[in-house]
Amino acid sequence: MSEELYKQMAQSIIEGEKEVAIELAQKSIELNMHPLDTITKGFVVGVNYIGDQFGAGEAFLPELVMAGEAMKAAVAVLEPELLKLGEAREVMGRVVLATVEGDIHEIGKTLVGTMLSASGFEVTDLGVDQPADKIIGKALEIDAQIIGMSALLTTTMVRQREVIEELDKEGLRPRIKVMVGGAPITKDWAEKIKADGTAEDAVGAVQLAKKLVGKE
Amino acid sequence: MQPLKFLSDADVQSMHEATMQIMEEIGVIWTHKPSLDILTDAGCKVKENRVLFPRDLVMKSAETANKRPIIRGRNGTVNELGGGNLYFHNLGGARDVFDARTGTHHAATQEDCINATRALDALPNCNTVTPFFTPPDVPNEMMALHMFRHMLSNTTKPVQGPGIQFGHEAKYAVEMAAVVGIPAHELTLSLSPVSPLTMHDVAAQAVMDMAHAGVIHSNLPAPTGGATSPMTITGSIVQQSAETLAPLVLAQLINPGCGVVYCGRLGMLEPRTGLIWGGVELGISSAATVQLGHYYGFAVNVYGFSTNAHTLDAQNAFERGLNASLPALAGADELSGIGEMEAGVMGSFAQMVLDNELAKSVLRQRQGLSADVDHLAVEIISAVMDTNRNYLASKHTLKHLRAGEMALTKLAERNSWDTWEEKMNRKQMADYAIDESERILREHTVPPLEPQQEAELDKILAAAEKETVKKR
Repeated sequence: MSEELYKQMAQSIIEGEKEVAIELAQKSIELNMHPLDTITKGFVVGVNYIGDQFGAGEAFLPELVMAGEAMKAAVAVLEPELLKLGEAREVMGRVVLATVEGDIHEIGKTLVGTMLSASGFEVTDLGVDQPADKIIGKALEIDAQIIGMSALLTTTMVRQREVIEELDKEGLRPRIKVMVGGAPITKDWAEKIKADGTAEDAVGAVQLAKKLVGKE
Repeated sequence: MQPLKFLSDADVQSMHEATMQIMEEIGVIWTHKPSLDILTDAGCKVKENRVLFPRDLVMKSAETANKRPIIRGRNGTVNELGGGNLYFHNLGGARDVFDARTGTHHAATQEDCINATRALDALPNCNTVTPFFTPPDVPNEMMALHMFRHMLSNTTKPVQGPGIQFGHEAKYAVEMAAVVGIPAHELTLSLSPVSPLTMHDVAAQAVMDMAHAGVIHSNLPAPTGGATSPMTITGSIVQQSAETLAPLVLAQLINPGCGVVYCGRLGMLEPRTGLIWGGVELGISSAATVQLGHYYGFAVNVYGFSTNAHTLDAQNAFERGLNASLPALAGADELSGIGEMEAGVMGSFAQMVLDNELAKSVLRQRQGLSADVDHLAVEIISAVMDTNRNYLASKHTLKHLRAGEMALTKLAERNSWDTWEEKMNRKQMADYAIDESERILREHTVPPLEPQQEAELDKILAAAEKETVKKR
């Protein structure tokens, strides 16, 4: 019975059917299934599948986003149940995300946030146009292990370096790792500004984040 | 989409008038007695060695012809020509093979002939298969039949018979087609009148034999602008049109209502080398030929993929892209040339794979755009503006992505530099095409014919051989 339900859960994520995912999450609660099992044996299987498909060039970006959104919605239904049990889903890590100062583009960053959340990270997304002190302040406030910074413009990507230099000055590294991303960001750039890594896409960002927190 | 009007309606009308004038006043060299009798009985005049075709007779023939013929493959696939779809087929009769892996070329072998058909069978955008390479060590009179015989065993797709030259070829090709279950009226054979405006006796006899058998015939003049037709492209096209229509008149007199495809194979002369020109004028000629053929209501088959290039290089890509795109947008019913290189002398397996991908892009161009409520998406824009201002998570995005709003081709390199360098090992589109062509030849199998069908085909080929030996 539950096996069949797990399959449907995975499928709802793969198909990006948010409403179906919510319904299945609610059904699992009615059936007294353990919410942690529901997440790990059901929904996560779907997220992993679509992530692999995307990595192999077989799935499209909208499919990935819709899967991520469906996952987030299902987890939102299940989290209060976990709290009631006095448990929590294992947090892979805490991440602060932001688009750097002077830049107001965020679709890519939002997508990374969705995929990180779907993969078990606790994500605080500050939004766009965020100065270095705000980003670092938030990271300290929530005791984040990772700061993820986005920049779409070649004119704003230099701001990523400022944040890293500030972190170094305060002696906050390697306690806080830095991921950088955005259309103009290359591996060379990430190395040059001494970031801890970059990835081509949201699936790569999740792999990188896992690596940075030692949970590959 | 609206077909691209390359020529104005007035220009098309002028070209029709010029075609009629050529047929009525200049005529076609024609000496074959049995067919001449049929033509003169129907009102054609003979002036010295030329036949003059009255305009009414030409127009009546164009009217009676089946202009929407159907061709069918042994797998049941049906191509309805003239029904608004665009179909692609390969180059026919290339002499050499370009080995893209080594950058060398060699004369086609028997194995190449068979492999080419197998490869084309595997490529989804090659809708019709015609014999690609000419086999070695086969006498001219038997060439077309040899090519056809091997093709029938190695594809289940609709087949386009080979270009024939002799009457007996039509007879045996029809017999062979029947063995695999293709009725004569679903078989196409092509025949090339000689430019300028000449029907040799053997060709006239072949038209008669095709018409008697009810075969869909493609009259395939291949004038060379500047050498065997005027330097001016419209002048070449009207001459070509007369060359296409003249045998059509004969066929319709013999078998009114038999199927026909209006073809053009105009190429310009390369004025420095004397070879055929693969530049953009080829696409222009093809587009204009499509418009003139459609004026009469015919399904039109023209050159598409074509280049002078000897490798899978930049010239190759831009020439064949432009030459395929333009006639497709003008509304061509069939485009020829999948796999072609070196102006039709050579072909390559990797090129076939590349053209399969190009065909997909051309089909996307041809599909055009929709401006219905769902595509204009005002409701979606409104909903996205009210929520996360991001279309990635909208069902509308996925729906139309899957419905083909973008042609998701696979060979083109679209990664970032880093990924291209590190993960893809700096591979380019041609490298992927080579890999894919080798994979196809390794893995693709074609459902075989029954052993008795194979034996029957061999028997027909042997009978044809016997007849030609006797004639020689």
